[in-house]
Amino acid sequence: MAIIVSIRNATKDYRLGKVLVPALRGVSLEVNSGEFLSIAGPSGSGKTTLLNLIGCVDTPTSGTVEVAGRNTAELGERALTRLRLYTIGFIFQSFNLVGVLDVFRNVELPLLLQRTLSSKERAERVHSLLDRVGLKEYSDHRPSELSGGQRQRVAIARALVTRPQLVLADEPTANLDSVTGQNILDLMRELNHADGTTFIFSTHDARVMSYANAVIRLADGKLSDTSDGGRATDAEVAELGHVSAGASQP
Amino acid sequence: MNAFWDTLKVVAQIALRNLFASRIKTFIVGGIITFGAWIIVVGTSLLDSVDQSMSRSITGSIAGDIQVYSAESKETLDVFGGFGPSGNDIAPLADFAQVRRTLSTVPNVAAVVPMGIDTATVTAGNSVDQVLARLREAASNIQNGDKSAATAADYTSQKDHVRQIVRVLHGDFENIKKVRTDASDVAEDLAFVQKANSEEFWRDFDRDPYANLEFLENRIASLASDADMLFLRYIGTDPGEFRRTFDRMTIVEGQPIPEGKRGFLFSKYVYEEQVKLRTARTLDKVKVRRDDRKEKIADEPELQRMIKENANNGQEILLQLDGNKTSVFRSKLGTFLHSQTTDVGQLLTQFLSMNDDNFDERYQFYYKELAPSLQLYKVRVGDTLTIKAYTRSGYVQSANLHVFGIFAFKGLEKSPQAGAMNMMDLVSFRELYGYLTADREKEIRDLRAKSGAKEIARENADAQLFGSASKDDSTATDTPSPSNIPSLTEELSQIAGSRQRSQEKDAPYDPGQLEQGVVLNAAVFLKDAHKVGTTITAIESAAGRDKIPLKALSWQNAVGITGQFTVLMRAVLYTAVIIIFLVALIIINNALVMATLERVREFGTLRAIGAQRRFIWSMLVLESIVTGILFGALGILLGSLFVSWLGQRGIPAWNDIVTFFFSGPRLYPALASKNLVLALVIVIVVSVVSSTYPAWLAMRVSPRQAMQSEE
Ligand SMILES: Nc1ncnc2c1ncn2[C@@H]1O[C@H](COP(=O)(O)OP(=O)(O)O)[C@@H](O)[C@H]1O
Ligand SMILES: [Mg+2]
Repeated sequence: MAIIVSIRNATKDYRLGKVLVPALRGVSLEVNSGEFLSIAGPSGSGKTTLLNLIGCVDTPTSGTVEVAGRNTAELGERALTRLRLYTIGFIFQSFNLVGVLDVFRNVELPLLLQRTLSSKERAERVHSLLDRVGLKEYSDHRPSELSGGQRQRVAIARALVTRPQLVLADEPTANLDSVTGQNILDLMRELNHADGTTFIFSTHDARVMSYANAVIRLADGKLSDTSDGGRATDAEVAELGHVSAGASQP
Repeated sequence: MNAFWDTLKVVAQIALRNLFASRIKTFIVGGIITFGAWIIVVGTSLLDSVDQSMSRSITGSIAGDIQVYSAESKETLDVFGGFGPSGNDIAPLADFAQVRRTLSTVPNVAAVVPMGIDTATVTAGNSVDQVLARLREAASNIQNGDKSAATAADYTSQKDHVRQIVRVLHGDFENIKKVRTDASDVAEDLAFVQKANSEEFWRDFDRDPYANLEFLENRIASLASDADMLFLRYIGTDPGEFRRTFDRMTIVEGQPIPEGKRGFLFSKYVYEEQVKLRTARTLDKVKVRRDDRKEKIADEPELQRMIKENANNGQEILLQLDGNKTSVFRSKLGTFLHSQTTDVGQLLTQFLSMNDDNFDERYQFYYKELAPSLQLYKVRVGDTLTIKAYTRSGYVQSANLHVFGIFAFKGLEKSPQAGAMNMMDLVSFRELYGYLTADREKEIRDLRAKSGAKEIARENADAQLFGSASKDDSTATDTPSPSNIPSLTEELSQIAGSRQRSQEKDAPYDPGQLEQGVVLNAAVFLKDAHKVGTTITAIESAAGRDKIPLKALSWQNAVGITGQFTVLMRAVLYTAVIIIFLVALIIINNALVMATLERVREFGTLRAIGAQRRFIWSMLVLESIVTGILFGALGILLGSLFVSWLGQRGIPAWNDIVTFFFSGPRLYPALASKNLVLALVIVIVVSVVSSTYPAWLAMRVSPRQAMQSEE
């Protein structure tokens, strides 16, 4: 199976005034295409930092990060942006929809940035995705008219509209109640199954990570010392909570 | 490409929606832009209208499209300027025919009108002299044995008139003594006046009327004649050609100066302002302000001042009253005012002290009851004017000119600048100007040296010749009557071989004379009035070729500061617009920076999902342009509506100077599409500039900002 993300010994330091804050202290990780991977860890453990490196919005202080076969350290600002536009979809903890645009326009936005599809093709793509996330009827609503769960579904549709190889979600359920959160995770897993799109999501909630078919655990900017390239075994995952059915190990 | 337009559409949509999303920002930015666009449209439209109407009036009344004058002049030609006694120091052009020949070789020249502008003093019908002459006539009638009652009554009436004048003069001197601590310089005059005002003088008058008349003529008449002096500015020209070429000139009264005749035309403005009785003129002005501008004497300090001054102007009426008229005025005013006072001076003062309640009634009474007995204008059409000018050689030259009529320039009727210009034929002008060739001048100098006449410098010629300016010069006071002032002058002109002008008032001249001889300047009309610049160059090079020292000026430059007015106003307007938009720039910039800071997550998200930096930048600048165009269009619309409304209604000129700039009582501004385009361009430029920095800030928002959890 193809490797979509490959991280070798990546570190990331933030500078806070005169102090260097080590957010990641040497992480190595490989993600196969089609995986539904959870990055687990307490707040401040470096989950967002790691997702930033994978999502090409940041580059490592040392070590290498390869996404879709390209070393991000060697790419400039524009190339990184293009990489994000064509290969990565983003789902945010706070949904981050454009408040002044309706649901349809929000989902269409990445396609407009790509400038490859005609307006008819775009409309078809957007409508079918809205259908799949269950918001067929809401295409001309404003985000402010939707519930949190509905907004996150719009965000999921927006992340998937470009048919990316990789979807990143940073604590996608943190702002939702548990039932809604579970629905969102169900939806994400469904899409993972159907299209084979790779999903990587972070969480500090044990129940959430149990949805993943693989979990890597972060603590203080390091992966926990586990057997398989930082991945927890099924048994370990089971310890963390409910094991989801159908999650398979490569 | 389609996708590009679709993207633009979405960005425009974001921009539009954002307008409604952040109302305060929109309100501030939109308000400023609307106001700015409004100012540009209204301001430039008004200025263009003033520019156009002014250029129409000025070119069509005096200036023409281009003025030419001698390049050897010490000053720049200013056809409206040079109000001082020395005028505008312009060197003469010796031969107009040659100037015309040279100008006619320039293809764009359509017409050339010869001109000269100068100033002179005019003694307009000295009332004291006239009264004394009438008294002398009555006295000699009696001496010659006329015993009729009518003659006796006339004699008494004229004596009363002279006493009246002397009383007024006496009052004036008493006032001078009151306001001045040192009145020694008028002591001698005061003594004369006191003598003339004394009971004994009049009781003994009949014993030796001729001697007493001589005393009055020599000592008193000159003191009372100051009020009759006019200081006139005139243009000497070819009257026929002037009227044919300058379409703004109209004859309001009388007739134009006939071809080949000497003559004078009063400007309507001067005629009303200077020649009319002051009391009547003031009443007219107050009436206009009350009727047209709905002003109240009680509210307007300016009107109160005018009324107060007018109450003291009663003496100009008193000076006109002989014995009969005095008693008529006494009874009319006494009845009207229900007053027992017999002093007509007091009655007049009381009558002229008007207020809002009695103004209209008294105004009517003045014109219906008093004016018919008065000479309302010191000079009338048909009279002969004695004009005295200082020639370039420094002596006084005089000409008696028939007043053919009164003229005005359409649109400039109320303009003090254009209205100050009276008119005479060029032949008389040249004589008053006294241009002499270098040879002739030398000849005079030699003759003068031989005859032992002393050179009279221009500065003190007034004192030496008129005497009135320096009372301690006893020789000067000995020459009170205007008729014998220029004895020296005449002597000199006779020596120089000039003619005796003052005796040849209506003498015709050969029209060909207008072409030959000296002019000071000339108005040039163009076939294509838009090519002023290139024609000026062509004229000056033609003059260089023909070796005549010609300088050419566009009409704007030839009317002094007046022509620069719109340039100046434009500079003021543009400065104001620049300041408004600089302030706008800062305020809009700040508002946009604030808005950007509020939208950091949005920009971070867009960057994260794949928007390039330049997309963010363009989006914000476009947002600003959309705002600019929307509110700019609103401002332009409001401005256009306002200008159209003004164009229908007209802006009334609020004073005479404004009337001049409006070239009429009202300005009807018109919209020009170039001003609308200008406003839109400025608004767009300001929008782009003001959003550049905030857009740059937004562009640099890191996509990581999108990941930050909401606090
Ligand atoms: N921009 C930053 N500047 C300085 N320190 C940062 C910055 N972002 C994250 N950190 C620090 O790095 C560490 C990891 O943060 P983060 O990756 O956000 O953890 P998590 O997402 O697991 O809560 C934390 O100690 C945090 O304080
Ligand atoms: Mg985090």
